[in-house]
Amino acid sequence: MAVNQDNVKALGIDIGSLTTKAVVLTDGEVLSSSVILSADTAELSARTAAGEALGQAGLSFDHNLYIVTTGAGGKSVPFGQRQKSITTCLARGIRYLFPSARMVIDMGAESITVIKVNERGRLSDWGNQDKCAAGTGVFLQQMAKLMQMPLEEMAKLSSKAKARAGISSTCAVFAESEVISHVHRDPPTPREEIVAGIYLSMVHRIMVLCKRIGIERDVAVVGGVALNSGLVSILEEEIGSEVLIPDRPQTAAALGAAILAREDIDKGCLIT
Amino acid sequence: MTTPTSRAENAKLHVLDRFRRVTQTFPKTDEILGYKSQGKKVFGWLCTYAPEEIIHAAGALPIRIVGYSHETDLEDGTAYFYVNNCSFSRSCLQLGLRGEYEFLDGVVGGSTCDGARRLFDLWRHYIGTPFHHVLTVPRKYTERAHNLYHDQVRQFHRHLEEFLDIQITDEALRHSIEVYNESRRLLKALYDLRKLSAPPITGAEAMEVLNASFRMPKELFNDYLRELMDGLSTSGNSYEGRARLMITGSHLNNPEFIKSIEDTGGLVVTDELCTSTRYWSDPVVLDGDQTPLQAISKRYLNNFPCARMFPSDERFDRILNLARDFRVEGVISQIIKYCVPYAHDRPLLTERLQAQGIPTLSLDVEHGTSGSGQIQTRVQAFLEMLESRQR
Amino acid sequence: MTSTGRKVNKIDALLRACRLMLRMSKARPEPRKSEVMYYQMLADYYTRLLNAREAGDFVAAHTVFFPSEIMYAMDIVPMHLETTSWMTALFLGEYADLLSAGAELGLAPEICSPHRGLAGAFAIDALPRPDVILWSNMVCDNTAKSGELLMKLTGCPGFFLDHPFQNSEGEMNYLVEELADMVRFLEEQSGRKMDWDRLSQGVARMDRQIELLRQIGKLRQAVPSPFHPQGFLELLTIDYLFAGRPEATEYLETLRQELAEAVSQGKGAVPKERFRLMTLFLPPMYLIGFLERISQEYGAVSVTEPFFCSWGEGRLDPSKPLESVARKSYMLPEMRMYGPLDDRALSEIVDSAKQYKIDGAIYYADIGCRHTCATIKLFKDVLDELDIPVLILDCDVVDPTIASEEEIRDKLERFFELLEDR
Repeated sequence: MAVNQDNVKALGIDIGSLTTKAVVLTDGEVLSSSVILSADTAELSARTAAGEALGQAGLSFDHNLYIVTTGAGGKSVPFGQRQKSITTCLARGIRYLFPSARMVIDMGAESITVIKVNERGRLSDWGNQDKCAAGTGVFLQQMAKLMQMPLEEMAKLSSKAKARAGISSTCAVFAESEVISHVHRDPPTPREEIVAGIYLSMVHRIMVLCKRIGIERDVAVVGGVALNSGLVSILEEEIGSEVLIPDRPQTAAALGAAILAREDIDKGCLIT
Repeated sequence: MTTPTSRAENAKLHVLDRFRRVTQTFPKTDEILGYKSQGKKVFGWLCTYAPEEIIHAAGALPIRIVGYSHETDLEDGTAYFYVNNCSFSRSCLQLGLRGEYEFLDGVVGGSTCDGARRLFDLWRHYIGTPFHHVLTVPRKYTERAHNLYHDQVRQFHRHLEEFLDIQITDEALRHSIEVYNESRRLLKALYDLRKLSAPPITGAEAMEVLNASFRMPKELFNDYLRELMDGLSTSGNSYEGRARLMITGSHLNNPEFIKSIEDTGGLVVTDELCTSTRYWSDPVVLDGDQTPLQAISKRYLNNFPCARMFPSDERFDRILNLARDFRVEGVISQIIKYCVPYAHDRPLLTERLQAQGIPTLSLDVEHGTSGSGQIQTRVQAFLEMLESRQR
Repeated sequence: MTSTGRKVNKIDALLRACRLMLRMSKARPEPRKSEVMYYQMLADYYTRLLNAREAGDFVAAHTVFFPSEIMYAMDIVPMHLETTSWMTALFLGEYADLLSAGAELGLAPEICSPHRGLAGAFAIDALPRPDVILWSNMVCDNTAKSGELLMKLTGCPGFFLDHPFQNSEGEMNYLVEELADMVRFLEEQSGRKMDWDRLSQGVARMDRQIELLRQIGKLRQAVPSPFHPQGFLELLTIDYLFAGRPEATEYLETLRQELAEAVSQGKGAVPKERFRLMTLFLPPMYLIGFLERISQEYGAVSVTEPFFCSWGEGRLDPSKPLESVARKSYMLPEMRMYGPLDDRALSEIVDSAKQYKIDGAIYYADIGCRHTCATIKLFKDVLDELDIPVLILDCDVVDPTIASEEEIRDKLERFFELLEDR
């Protein structure tokens, strides 16, 4: 059934294990976006996030939408038109946000992904390590619990550190026990040093990934953890240059998915 | 934690500070940079199967390639080597990649283990030191193996001559052998003092001495060591521990690790480490009809074995003899994660030692670990077990 | 020991699995003759092993790349340790019991799983006790150090073959003498004499087999590629288990004929070939079936495998059998990766990428195989210069707990998307 392609809106949904993000795009401009905590099912998460984003844009599910889904739950959403892998979506998203970026570090809840894009904005390489959550949002939350302070406070505290406690970067379990021993040491290691050490260990893990595929500037950082200024400043130190962070770093992949949706619409793909 | 109990007040051995100072800025120590500033060459070697005397006889300074002296993040090492190669090889590579070894004119090693073998492959491609030589080291001790190794040693000798455009004469070799044998004799004398019930030097201090030996001209080291021996004989220092321990296993050169063990009350009296006993234990024997190269190659292949060699019993027998000579009560086997030859030997060696009434504490470590926390807890428990057996 | 009970259950189970594969290969709508031959050969191999005790045969267990042609020439029944180990994972999907037995022996988990499983298998009598253990340092420390423990577990005498690092004249001579020593050892232990004529014949056949492998390699360069996506496993098994055997020559000639026909008809192994891939190192055994399926689904074909299929140059001279056996050991594809990895080795990878017109490469980063993983960055950088993307998959060759089918599928799909997006 042919549809008037002019008023078809592009919608990208990134269903992650911790959060779900949605972005509505029209003619190359972002109309709205949303970030919500993921629900029990991928479908419910997708509906809720999409619903919010659509609502903000003055739209609803009744409108003509072309939907591309991505993320851990990307395949479990029956009402989408296409599913694309997170890496392809990230490449598109970052191309839009920072055309000069050649490398993107996605610090998500459960894993770190590093991708490289070429001058044409095409994904050229990627690496990820999700075996041990020693470099992710989940790990940081656990650490915040151990340190008994909220994440925001941790970020502010790390900038005061004069030194950084040595903490293993090879395994989350080791890192946890090392943090505990720092806290209970006699005399205890200063808290800002522990926090800075935690961040440093995460950064080391990120750096191994980056070096394996070869660092290329400009480097962009996306994902929820990109909002952590303490960690980002240590990352910049290790990379040796400033990194580019979009205003809404969590929605980069959803944006990319929306862009892919837009490409499909322009190609004349039909909404079924 | 207190240091091992002493009978007398332990006089500070100032000469030990000199050894410590040598290693503080390693790899770029004053001694090494000083040597280079004279227009001379510095060659890095890896493994006890690389014949140092030949480098020395060429008028160059042989220094040992080692990794960081503390446990650290190995981003570059891991990115190039992958996560499943031992942290020692990754550590060495990282130092090389970061330019810490850029003063080297050459690197020499043997096809000794997977880590070493690949270290040289990666080194050649990504670091590209001007002179690069890897000897084939057989795994057997047969006459045929000796002939092969001798052949390899001769090739190395020739390659070095070509590179430096000099002749490394038999005379020069004999002289170098003397210098190195003197080192070995002095180190043996040092270790013999540790056979005493209350040795005048701790295991950690002995490791500091050994570390310096890899990082400075041997002649100078011998002078320092002679002074140390004099100092020891007049210091009146003596150390006793809750038990006499021996350390075996992978490449280890962080004295902090040994100090951590000794802080719990054990006394490390000997070891089977390639950075200590195995480095100096056998002298080069020059008898009448052998050429210096023949004597050198014989010594190096027959030397106290690395776990790579076959049959393992050669290594096990020597370890047991050492344990007996030094009246060792417990063995601490520290093996770096992914150090395959040593990991394979561990069950068999533990059994052999057990049969001689010597228990083993198995520790899984990373290269450069200082041994605090968990390790000390386990050593404590081990010592308590040893003490309860004594009662 | 009697043949009932646990004592020989893995070989028995493997044999049944081989027979099943044989029946399946015959029952295909269009059976591939070479495939039928391949499974027949495997079935015969394990039948021989199963019946060895009763037939009064002498069984020599040996490690990978060991010159089994020597054993065939002496009428000794070879048992390839690592292949048996990973076939257990491949065909039976069971490995956990062997790995835990290995752990109980005190073997560190970092020791590669085929070797841990092997030691475990002997410890729990899951493999029949051979008459001798033969092992070498090809191609890593794990192999070099495995023998003494196996000797202890089985109570067998053993021989360690010391393979030198490079192929200089002196080293080649050393190897020949080591081989001669080994022959003497086997003669003493088995009471059988080496039949040098038979060995010469074996060498002549091996020479032919290597030629055929080279020709098959060339045929696979065709677009579309005629050999099925994970077919290289058959090719590497040929030399592992059947070096110098007449049936191996027959298999290779049949296969070559089939591929030549397919190429002349422009017929590819998959309906629509979309991605031509280079496989670096070995996929997990328990995933082979899955990889075949996903390859068909995405039109992705492994067209070249430098670690297993690129043989060194040169011919073997049957008149010098022992020298030829030595020479061949250096020509083996994986031995060429042993080192030193100089520019020649790296240019191999580049040439292969170009000749086979690959779109991408997949590196199976087997967590237990240290010396292969150390080449990942090297090869990746070399392929990067050709603008060829490389996917690195963390896995273990027999242990399924390291990487699940889902994870691998996810990563492969992303990789195929990346290739398509270009």
